[in-house]
Amino acid sequence: MLAPSILGFTVFLIAPIVVVVALSFYDWNLLSDPEFIGLENYRELAGDERALQSIGNTFYYVLLNIPAQTVLALALALAVNSKVKARNAFRVIYVLPWMAMPVALGVIWRWVFDPAYGALNRFLEVFGVDGASWLTDSAWAMPVIASVNVWQYTGYTMLFFLAGLQAIPAQLYEAADVDGASAPYRFFKITLPLLRPSMLFVLITSVIGSFQVFDTIHVMTAGGPAGSTATLNYQIYLESFTQRNAGYASMLAVILFAIIALITLAQVSFFRKRTVYDFS
Amino acid sequence: MNKTRTAALAALALALPVAAACGGDDDGAVTLRYAFWDDNQRPALEAMIAAFNEDHPDIEVELEQNPWDDYWPGLDSQFAAENAPDVFWNHVSRFPTYADNGVLLPLTDFIEEDGVDPSIYPENLYDSWRFEDDQYGLPKDWDSIAMVYRLDALEAAGIDPATVNDLEWNPVDGGTYVEFLQKLTVDADGDNALSPDFDPENVVQYGTAMASSTGQTDWWNYAVQNGCSLQTEPWGDYAIDAPECVEAIQFTADLYNRWHVAVPAESTNQPNGGIPGDYVVPGQAATTLDGSWMLSFYRDGLEPGTWAVADNPSGPAGSGSVINGLSNAIYAGTEHPDEAWELVKFLGSEEVQAIATEMGSVWPGVSSLNEGFADYWAEQGIDVTGFQTAAEGTTIGYPLSMNDAAFGTAALDEFNQVWLGQKDAQEAAEAVVEIANAE
Repeated sequence: MLAPSILGFTVFLIAPIVVVVALSFYDWNLLSDPEFIGLENYRELAGDERALQSIGNTFYYVLLNIPAQTVLALALALAVNSKVKARNAFRVIYVLPWMAMPVALGVIWRWVFDPAYGALNRFLEVFGVDGASWLTDSAWAMPVIASVNVWQYTGYTMLFFLAGLQAIPAQLYEAADVDGASAPYRFFKITLPLLRPSMLFVLITSVIGSFQVFDTIHVMTAGGPAGSTATLNYQIYLESFTQRNAGYASMLAVILFAIIALITLAQVSFFRKRTVYDFS
Repeated sequence: MNKTRTAALAALALALPVAAACGGDDDGAVTLRYAFWDDNQRPALEAMIAAFNEDHPDIEVELEQNPWDDYWPGLDSQFAAENAPDVFWNHVSRFPTYADNGVLLPLTDFIEEDGVDPSIYPENLYDSWRFEDDQYGLPKDWDSIAMVYRLDALEAAGIDPATVNDLEWNPVDGGTYVEFLQKLTVDADGDNALSPDFDPENVVQYGTAMASSTGQTDWWNYAVQNGCSLQTEPWGDYAIDAPECVEAIQFTADLYNRWHVAVPAESTNQPNGGIPGDYVVPGQAATTLDGSWMLSFYRDGLEPGTWAVADNPSGPAGSGSVINGLSNAIYAGTEHPDEAWELVKFLGSEEVQAIATEMGSVWPGVSSLNEGFADYWAEQGIDVTGFQTAAEGTTIGYPLSMNDAAFGTAALDEFNQVWLGQKDAQEAAEAVVEIANAE
């Protein structure tokens, strides 16, 4: 029974990882045979400003993206978990951006943020506000991209919190009511601790996803201006497919893999000690 | 082939959308994959392939189209996976690296055996596909850059179209060219850029639109017109930090930020901005310097009689542009070299290029057909002499270098910042040269 899934796992995951790790020790221009160069790619990284900048950009993006997205998603989950009217409609509406194609959304948002012809600056003009050059100003470009992705993925993240909230037994809240606990007290002492399994899942998947952001950047800024929105994942693309440095790009991929693996391990070990799965 | 490569291929094969397997069908018929990028030329290609199939009913040609920005990464991956199209459009910028790495099939023997006469092509065009001692393509077309402008915009600004061929620019005060663009740059109150009441923050029509992912249709024009030849010599180092080049780059930046006559770089910077025609067709820009291959885009987007073609402006060193051409090349790993050669030979012949010429698609690779292309456009009411003049002036060929990828990426990255007014032209040019000549 397991054979097909192990085959898929090996062919589509293990084999490419092994190949990428191997290629990171080679010089390869995609066109002729790869040449073994040992640790040269790794040594080169130390002096590669653009690659180092892209690692910094990646962390910056993750920090802009994850806290905002997680807090918003949790707030929305709490809102649509209450007895508001039309909450089902809200649930659907919040999830809609996630259902759309990221590339198509990126193109539309690029139009919205166009400084001369875009909807946003036209709108701001009505209030006498001079809108920025959102996507060509290195101070704004990354926050704009992060906000587009927050907008896109918050609803999806909300779903997991919603499922987590509905798994919390009602009698806990009833007991808290009897004891006269305030709403903030109930949230911090009951809801949040019991959401830890959802929180663990959400943080691990969204942090990994966030480190791998590509499509929004590709269609909105292509890594510019001056490389300020080129994340490590985008840099890998640029190195391999515009510069034909497939070996060097593989080295960057190994670095990205290592960063994600370390952060994921840290998250798991942090949550493992503190998580309760059994509510009975 | 060594093991690493096999393993790498295995990984790529998994990562890439593998195209339908080519090869012989049961009845002995052969399918050739033919890759290209320009949507404007698709109708002409289809017509030429239909003609090919009249002579060769047993060879099916499948067109594979990808836009320019995706075409090259796609082709590179297909070479890596040893699953590239049998025949494909080749560009001068990619040619040196491809020829040097052995992914192109040498055509020298085929040409000799079949007695193809190279003299039907302009000599420099034919020779641009030669690497070391072999020929790697037959010229498909040639192209140059000239001014495309809107007659209605000139009329509204009170400019006589007869004066457009004689515009001159200089890096000091801009010259008559900048004055011409200033008259065509109009704000919401109807004041043009020469008026003291002009509001550069609120422009409804710009004099020009510049948007080029390589430089070919924007700063290269001014570079050539200022005596900058981009490289020390063909195949040599990039030399865009020379004073005459930096001056031209600064002039390009001035069109954006000093004179305010170009659609802002915030909108036009590549690769995500629009192409020049995207601004000219809806009337956001009155003129642009664009490639001859774009003529059918304007024909299809604008009413006849509302637009025309003029000579490039002249700079301190004269008028002109970078000229270029494409070839049809054959993948070295093709399973059907003979059939692929039949197709390339056919597409390179005078009678077949006449098909594209008569559709107004591109200036033909075969010299004798130039007249036919000009005639097609004359019938459409467009005088395309500007492109021929551009090919004669101080024109230079497309830069030839093994470092094109590094140069292209660095130039776009640096000059995008210059167009935005965020970086000094000299500093940017030096940064590009340092990166491009490093390898």
